[in-house]
Amino acid sequence: MSAIVESSTDSLSARGTVRRRAPDKRRVLKKRLMPWLFISPYLVLFIMFTAFPLGFSIFLSFHEWNPTSGLDGMNFVGLTHYADIITDPWLWKSLYNTVWLAIVAGVPQHLIAIPVAYLLVSVFKGALRHFYTATMFIPFITSTVAISLIFYTIYSGNSGILNQWLLALSDVPVIGALFAWVPDAMPIRWLSSSALIKPAIAFVVVWKYTGFNIVIYSAGFLTVSKDLYDAAEVDGCSAWQKFWHVALPMIRPFVFFALTLTIIGNLQLFEEPFVLTAGDSGGVAQSGLTASYYLYLAGWEWHQMGYATAVSWILFLFIAVITSVHFYFNGRKGMGGDR
Amino acid sequence: MKKLIVAGVASLAILATPAVAGDVRFDGFPDLNSHLDKLIPSYSEKNPDTKVTYQMNNHGDHHKKLTTNLATGSGAGDVVAVDVGFIGSFINAGGFEDLSGADYGADALADSFVGYAWDQGKGADGKQYGIPIDIGPGVMYYRRDVLEAVGGDITAVIKDWDSYIEYGKKLKDKKVFLIADAADVAKTIVFTTVKPGEGYYFDAEGNSLITSERFVTAFSIAKQIRDEGLDGQIGAWTNEWYDGFKQGTVATQLSGAWLLGHLQNWMAPDTKGKWGASNLPNGIYGSWGGSFLAIPKQAKNKKEAWDFIKFLTTTSEAQISGLKTIGSFPVLKATYADSAFDEPIEFLAGQKARQLFAEVAQKVPAVAPKKGDLIAEDVVLNGALLEVLNDGKDIMAALKDAERLVKRRVK
Amino acid sequence: MIRSLPKFSTHAIMIIGVLITIFPFVWVALMSTHTRSDIYSSPPPFYVGSNLIQNYGKLLELMPFWSILWNSLYVSVMGTAGAVLFCSMCAFGFFAYDFRGKNLIFGIMIASMMVPPVLMLIPSFLTIKFLGILDTHFALWFPGVANAFGIFLIRQYMLNTINRDLLDAAKVDGASDFRIYWSVVLPLIKPALATLGIVMFIGLWNNFLGPLILISSSEKQVLTLALRSVQSIANSPWGAIMLGTFLSMVPLLLAFLFFSKQMMAGLTAGAVKG
Repeated sequence: MSAIVESSTDSLSARGTVRRRAPDKRRVLKKRLMPWLFISPYLVLFIMFTAFPLGFSIFLSFHEWNPTSGLDGMNFVGLTHYADIITDPWLWKSLYNTVWLAIVAGVPQHLIAIPVAYLLVSVFKGALRHFYTATMFIPFITSTVAISLIFYTIYSGNSGILNQWLLALSDVPVIGALFAWVPDAMPIRWLSSSALIKPAIAFVVVWKYTGFNIVIYSAGFLTVSKDLYDAAEVDGCSAWQKFWHVALPMIRPFVFFALTLTIIGNLQLFEEPFVLTAGDSGGVAQSGLTASYYLYLAGWEWHQMGYATAVSWILFLFIAVITSVHFYFNGRKGMGGDR
Repeated sequence: MKKLIVAGVASLAILATPAVAGDVRFDGFPDLNSHLDKLIPSYSEKNPDTKVTYQMNNHGDHHKKLTTNLATGSGAGDVVAVDVGFIGSFINAGGFEDLSGADYGADALADSFVGYAWDQGKGADGKQYGIPIDIGPGVMYYRRDVLEAVGGDITAVIKDWDSYIEYGKKLKDKKVFLIADAADVAKTIVFTTVKPGEGYYFDAEGNSLITSERFVTAFSIAKQIRDEGLDGQIGAWTNEWYDGFKQGTVATQLSGAWLLGHLQNWMAPDTKGKWGASNLPNGIYGSWGGSFLAIPKQAKNKKEAWDFIKFLTTTSEAQISGLKTIGSFPVLKATYADSAFDEPIEFLAGQKARQLFAEVAQKVPAVAPKKGDLIAEDVVLNGALLEVLNDGKDIMAALKDAERLVKRRVK
Repeated sequence: MIRSLPKFSTHAIMIIGVLITIFPFVWVALMSTHTRSDIYSSPPPFYVGSNLIQNYGKLLELMPFWSILWNSLYVSVMGTAGAVLFCSMCAFGFFAYDFRGKNLIFGIMIASMMVPPVLMLIPSFLTIKFLGILDTHFALWFPGVANAFGIFLIRQYMLNTINRDLLDAAKVDGASDFRIYWSVVLPLIKPALATLGIVMFIGLWNNFLGPLILISSSEKQVLTLALRSVQSIANSPWGAIMLGTFLSMVPLLLAFLFFSKQMMAGLTAGAVKG
């Protein structure tokens, strides 16, 4: 992936060098150090707070460890965990669920967020815009406890709001025909049948994170200069063309950024499936078990921390590969190489 | 931890005091805080040199924090609570004090406690690491009005599982569910019909018992209830569950004695007098839940911690207070002679139910926890059982798949 | 299309969206006026109850609510301010210069976002303990002030808004690198800083795993964890907890409105790029 990052070529120092002549040594040194100075906060914090935990967990993945036995309770087992992982049916099941949810709960977020953000930025003004943006952001700030209480109420089989709405729809004159199957299918158990739990989780994820993406995309659309729209208008562009040919290409770095976050975030999905399956090892037939959920079970519930860590590194590789593919196809434009 | 500042007394009040020798911090989960709020004043009176504070986190968070503390060797309280579900894993890992040792002499207390609970606090080496503080003797709560409506008799209903299912069929005509979730029946049978010397999922040699007769029977009976449409497929601790109790659309619930407190306090307070408690069907004895207290090796004030544990578990005052404040059932046998046990309980139509609970508690067989129980429970009872009941998977196939998985992870 | 679309249908779409998303807020607000029994009836009561005052009393009995709220506010504000400063600095470093190892470091940074966080708990505790900052608010907000998410976000924003000729022009005028970052670049990326501010504030506010293992003094407790710590599967005073949850959402909404105002202010200023 690093090959793509370098594409932001023309840099400050490169150009500066051309224009200045005969820089003395001190200045060259200063120039060399300057970028490091700017990124030093990240480097320092990385070394302080991230490097050790990462190293520790690599070390741990070659050991067997019940964490409640303390740090001296580790036993070296070499690559055993990694060998076990290859034939672990729950892990593969969980990876499948993870990918399924990443796609089904990921794509709609963006398909909704991009046009909504565009509308918010281009159509609405003042207080109304603040009101809309703020409300659409509410799911993102809602605590997990409230989410679980709310969605249990919505999804529950016998008296759930969703089922009652479906029943009501089947009674509506015209569209009722579309829902004629509903009364026979009742009660639909959204959270306790293996076929429905993933869609039920996916809906909650879309509901929760779309507002976040709207904010990111709003920030993006706000960078598009009004002059560009005016120019497009002079050229006779329709509103749709302005969106598609002017605004959308301009926010590419934001699409790239938001997609990267969704890919990484969704492949680590844990809280929503955990809450909606009541922590019951992934729901019926583990159809709601994601990879993060599985490593949580293995590490914190079963106290097999070494194995869980090995699973987490496999998940890490998996995410890295998928992200690299995304960087490979979208990175050149998304990271700003065409500018 | 050099800057250790003890947690505030009583409801997280802002009282920062530096830790001094003699102070005891209790780490636990709600509702133990309500329990301690009542008891700490009385304990402090008798032990003015010891200042007891507590730190509560919700059940899951507490065990996660305790795991981190034991893993890193720092940050745990002087007394920690451990749920029965985790006790096997915690006490065999070496992070707790051996209470059978000379400093404590816990073995001398064994006879005062309900036998099965005491044994659950023992490590594989036979030493005592956890002291039980409360237990959940298993009973069946049932709606009297529903039973009368079909002209039934409770002794006949609980004679065996066939008679229990028969009762369910009668209820079906009245559109009342026999039980909220058939899975409870399977779990009950799995946990209560363990042969002497065996563990729940493994025998003494560590061989898997998952495909044994006990599991097949348990799964078959639950499946029969599900297939006949006798259960509501209602998950525990959901609004639908409470609603079933309120409306009388669920006739029975297999549970720990503690459910009574919840029913009368907030789940279905308006149904007072409509409930009864009985033994579990088919003459079995089992338990639901329970907590233990232990002293981490890293604790600062072990002597005071042990003294406080003894106060909580071996005095009638503390044990009865727990029963009255938070409905936690005493584990100390001497309390069963207390007058509180003769009180008729209005909610159960005047039944002297605590005597039943006490009788059940002393009949529950001891089952030693085994390494791998936590995994097996997730794989078999949360995994395979749901596949059988909800997805119609073949029982033997499900159990064999589960066994293979458990064997992979438990070596 | 937008213009040809009648205005009211645009509004209709928005209003449907609002109804779906505002639901939890209204729901939590309503539940905070009921008793536990009412909350747990089926279906739950979708009207204003009469138990608000009692719930408030119970909430104060459970925890010193306002001082805990203050702690949360402190941690969130410090972490947000730090992140806005340090992330933009680092992002500028990645944006404006070419240097050996840049791609590698950026790659590691993105990769560090991919490590599942649940397993970092134990080693993070060890790190914090080693540094001697256990049981401090500092340990809650400081480690995240220069984070991959923020640096990546701001770097992306710079791509869209900062014209490199502008940097060069400033350079020719003799401005120091830091001066360029501070006086030329920062004012132009305000909306990005606001966006980062929103996300950081919420992340810090809702973080409970950190406080769970790092904080042991009750007077340093933060709100999200305090609200979690009184929940048990059954015996919790849910009305009071719902009220606490509702009150804890309010600062988040206010913070959102504050930052979103800053963000929208970029609409007029956003026309820098020629």
